[in-house]
Amino acid sequence: MTAEATEPDFDVIVVGAGPAGSVTAYLLAQQGHSVVLIERGEAPGAKNLSGGVLYGRVLDEVFPGFAEEAPVERRITRHVTTFLTGDSSVSVDYAGRPLAEPVNAVTVLRAKFDAWLAERAEEAGVFLMPGVRVDELLREEGPAGPQVVGVRAGDDELRARVVVAADGVNSFLARSAGLRSKPPEHHLAVGVKAVISLPRTVIEDRFAVTGDEGAAHAIVGDCTLGIGGGGFLYTNTDSLSVGVVLRLDDLLKHGRTAAEVFDHYLAHPVLAPYLRGGEMVEYGSHLVAEGGLEMLGSVVTGGMVVVGEAAGLTINSGLTVRGMDLAIGSAVAAARGIGEAIAADDVTATGLSAYRRHLDDSFVVKDLRTYERAPSFLERDRMYGAYGELAAGIFHDVFAMDGTPRKHLVTVAREAFKRSPLRLRDVISDGWAGVRAL
Amino acid sequence: MKIVVAYKWAPNPQDAVVATTGEVDLSRAKPAVSEYDPVAFELARRLADATGGEVVGLTVGGPSIDTPLSRKAALSRGLDRLVVVADAELEDADGTRIATVLAAAVRAIGDVDLVLAGDSSIDVAQGQVPLTLAGVLGWLGLAAVSAVTAADGGLVVERSLPGGTTVVAVPTPAVLAATADAVVPRVAGMKDILGAAKKPVEVLDLAALDVPAPGATLATLATAKPAGGERTATIFDGSSPAGAAAQLVGALRQAGAL
Amino acid sequence: MNSAQSWIVVADDTAASGLVDLARSVGDEVVAVVAGRREVASSLASAVDRVLWLGEPDQAPVEAYGPAVAAVVAQATPRTVIGATSPGGRALLGAVAAALRVPVLAGVSALEADGDQVVVTRSVLGGIAEHRTAVQGGTTVVAVDPGGAVAGDGDLAPLEELAVTPLAATVTEVRPAAVAGADLGGARTVVGVGRGLKAREDVALVSDLAAALGGELACSRPLAEGVDWLPKERYIGISGQHIAPDLYLALGISGQLQHMVGVRGAKVIVAVNSDKNAPVFSQCDFGVVGDMYEVVPALTAALGTGS
Ligand SMILES: Cc1cc2nc3c(=O)[nH]c(=O)nc-3n(C[C@H](O)[C@H](O)[C@H](O)COP(=O)(O)OP(=O)(O)OC[C@H]3O[C@@H](n4cnc5c(N)ncnc54)[C@H](O)[C@@H]3O)c2cc1C
Ligand SMILES: Cc1cc2nc3c(=O)[nH]c(=O)nc-3n(C[C@H](O)[C@H](O)[C@H](O)COP(=O)(O)OP(=O)(O)OC[C@H]3O[C@@H](n4cnc5c(N)ncnc54)[C@H](O)[C@@H]3O)c2cc1C
Ligand SMILES: Nc1ncnc2c1ncn2[C@@H]1O[C@H](COP(=O)(O)O)[C@@H](O)[C@H]1O
Repeated sequence: MTAEATEPDFDVIVVGAGPAGSVTAYLLAQQGHSVVLIERGEAPGAKNLSGGVLYGRVLDEVFPGFAEEAPVERRITRHVTTFLTGDSSVSVDYAGRPLAEPVNAVTVLRAKFDAWLAERAEEAGVFLMPGVRVDELLREEGPAGPQVVGVRAGDDELRARVVVAADGVNSFLARSAGLRSKPPEHHLAVGVKAVISLPRTVIEDRFAVTGDEGAAHAIVGDCTLGIGGGGFLYTNTDSLSVGVVLRLDDLLKHGRTAAEVFDHYLAHPVLAPYLRGGEMVEYGSHLVAEGGLEMLGSVVTGGMVVVGEAAGLTINSGLTVRGMDLAIGSAVAAARGIGEAIAADDVTATGLSAYRRHLDDSFVVKDLRTYERAPSFLERDRMYGAYGELAAGIFHDVFAMDGTPRKHLVTVAREAFKRSPLRLRDVISDGWAGVRAL
Repeated sequence: MKIVVAYKWAPNPQDAVVATTGEVDLSRAKPAVSEYDPVAFELARRLADATGGEVVGLTVGGPSIDTPLSRKAALSRGLDRLVVVADAELEDADGTRIATVLAAAVRAIGDVDLVLAGDSSIDVAQGQVPLTLAGVLGWLGLAAVSAVTAADGGLVVERSLPGGTTVVAVPTPAVLAATADAVVPRVAGMKDILGAAKKPVEVLDLAALDVPAPGATLATLATAKPAGGERTATIFDGSSPAGAAAQLVGALRQAGAL
Repeated sequence: MNSAQSWIVVADDTAASGLVDLARSVGDEVVAVVAGRREVASSLASAVDRVLWLGEPDQAPVEAYGPAVAAVVAQATPRTVIGATSPGGRALLGAVAAALRVPVLAGVSALEADGDQVVVTRSVLGGIAEHRTAVQGGTTVVAVDPGGAVAGDGDLAPLEELAVTPLAATVTEVRPAAVAGADLGGARTVVGVGRGLKAREDVALVSDLAAALGGELACSRPLAEGVDWLPKERYIGISGQHIAPDLYLALGISGQLQHMVGVRGAKVIVAVNSDKNAPVFSQCDFGVVGDMYEVVPALTAALGTGS
């Protein structure tokens, strides 16, 4: 091979224009590096399942005041958590002024939001390359062991000093670099999501929000037919993002398809009134890595780093899915680490390990740690059935005016509990696990 | 031979949201090079390579048609350079207006031997713009072109018409619209896209083009959502084919469809 | 502008009665300009008020008459000009529209005269919406799908032959297609097949079902173009046939807008698709989620046994 052929085409190749990839590319271009951002979709965001709540603090650090400029749908001012049984529901509704601060949480539609982020990267000088699917990593033996030196797509090869794998869940690049093996089924969840369009005034009336305020509902219990996971319902400007996240192993165990569970969810008497008259404008399903810190594999190898969901960075507490903010957090850490490695002219695994250090110091790993026990906590089946029944039982007895004298709430709870299949020991154990996990 | 390829940067109406009033919201539909236009790019490239010529991409429309993304999408598919007329005034322009602006741009490009176009655009889908363009230019315009080769002084054009395949000897200049399956277009690779960024792009100013004013304007009096598009389906599970078949035949009998 | 007149521009043999009827509905006087053989011009003589014939085309394609047609029409500036959506029809309409600098409207379902202007009901954007549109300040030019033969009952209009020079172009060869005259328009049952079909030989699977139903075979565009497993005359959709049978079966067809627009008028639509989420399932009356290679033979059998 001639010396010329091994000359890198770019300083950095970023694969995947999701939040992780676009922000990494943006920050590296800002540092003055030549960066190409490769995305298999015809346009960034085109292939990404739309809708979600973005916890915005970290993005605000990258783009101060982003909520004013970026295509955000609504600021979330109400978080509603609902336990469902077949015919009743118990909700905790948290509406707090502090939540109104726009950078806390906003809803976004990915088709617009991802496109916006990629545009910012392009403006900063990143060479955006849509419509290209990376097929393979180019690897060569270096003095410090095997080194990733570029990528191949179709017949073409591109070389760079560093490749960033930002290719999302089940990262093909991370796996082919040997950084991750196929995740076990109990670390994967299936997300089914739809966007349902409704006039904005209807949304504001149904969800009791005004202006650009919005609500995020998390729903557990009967809506998933007892399968481990939960449902969500988020308000966008003139649409709703609605979906379920289901543990893959449990789904298989129950012999159900995600689509079946989703249909059941949409038709549930508690959900249906919110959706009535709406038109489904998008539908899709997608895997979610939900293993938390356990899934965070090695994120660095010679010539390559892994960011975002490709690195397993998601938190699924059962009530919320977080991934975009962690993806952006890892992008910030990666851009710093790569910048330092390039400056030190050491892009081996050792040089790039600066990224891992920044990641460990960031909120990303701290939050993963906080939620470390969430995955195994969520594996407890009774979270999805019996607790909803219990809560509903209690509230039924409180609110049902059947002529019998009102009982003190504790008595009500104890009686409902007696009817419930739960044993006290389970509740104490789950409660303890839950407190520690959440 | 100097070949201009007229192509459209357009959204797929499949992804539009249509209100019950018939109002169309295209904001979810990502624009792209219109589905069949890459066929024209490919035909043009092959003809230019065979005759030692140049291929110039040409597109007109509203401001959103000219972005770094749209430029690369076109230029990575075998064009030598690009000419764009992007003006807010052309946002929802009708096909004749588009054709008139295209004609002005073709004249501005100068010495054009051939304009190639796609079969029909993904959004308007009338297959009319190239033929109106031929009318404005006063050139021969042929649709349904499945093959084109250069012959001394002109072109030999094969057309796929309802009555059969027709071969026509066509002097230049002319406008030809390709069939959807005339050739299989290339898939742009990374090198093509990198190369695309280095190719020249000329932005023509609509005001400077001296385009005659329209002879009529369109006024939308009412919109509606067509009936028959959405139906509520009774779905049978085909995992038992015989069972599903029996159920379906029963249901069709009951509905009087058999 | 001459409000009393509707003109039709005729390019092909398939010159449609539809053109004449539509022209009649918005004009007292119907004038036909014919760029084609004498027979085409004569066939119109009993249906319209005037026939202008541009002479025997010999080896020239009809498109070569575009400028000549445009010049005649522009001089008269009628209120309405109607032509066909066929390749030749669109070329003549394009020339006329260019000369008058007015739009060409397609997907037309109705025309109404309203003073000097014409109101057009048409489908837009691949058929996702319907508009009532007024063409203001100029001639209304519309392209409609050619229909059947001309049914004339009026007096014979004389052929007015005009001497014109077509653009230079010569048809050097015609290789007629072996078309097995498909009458999809008149069929009560149509069985359409799409890319769910894996191989050309498997067309038999679907034609067996069509035979059992006594229906016609049709397809989506990719099966007629790209791979020519079925003749182009048999594909359905925005750029193919529009049909309104009692029963349409979409087998291995995803249900893209451009296809489904062609069967909106069907009374009952059945879909068979292995993908539960295929868009076709929200546009049908009955659906079977399953492999067409299993479901279709089962369906043929079920019909055969009369069960
Ligand atoms: C149902 C569901 C609900 C969720 N809800 C939320 C929520 O409310 N809030 C939240 O913060 N997170 C949510 N998430 C998680 C969130 O979507 C992800 O964590 C986030 O998208 C990760 O961003 P990323 O940039 O790492 O990867 P992605 O967004 O997945 O981007 C990866 C990109 O890489 C591209 N790509 C992949 N392979 C290749 C290749 N070989 N070549 C070129 N390009 C390639 C893809 O097309 C894609 O654009 C949800 C997930 C699901 C499934
Ligand atoms: C301007 C324009 C005009 C067009 N005009 C037309 C037109 O007039 N008519 C037309 O048809 N198209 C037209 N198209 C093309 C149209 O957009 C679609 O690409 C086309 O209709 C898709 O054909 P299909 O459904 O057969 O193929 P696909 O979209 O590939 O769908 C194949 C389907 O078969 C299913 N399948 C696969 N295997 C099986 C199996 N074993 N059993 C059951 N199901 C199976 C798949 O799930 C899939 O849903 C036009 C496009 C453009 C841009
Ligand atoms: N705005 C445009 N700019 C350039 N070319 C166009 C434009 N609109 C249509 N065309 C060309 O005309 C063909 C037919 O388009 P249509 O008449 O809209 O179906 C397309 O495939 C393009 O090649």
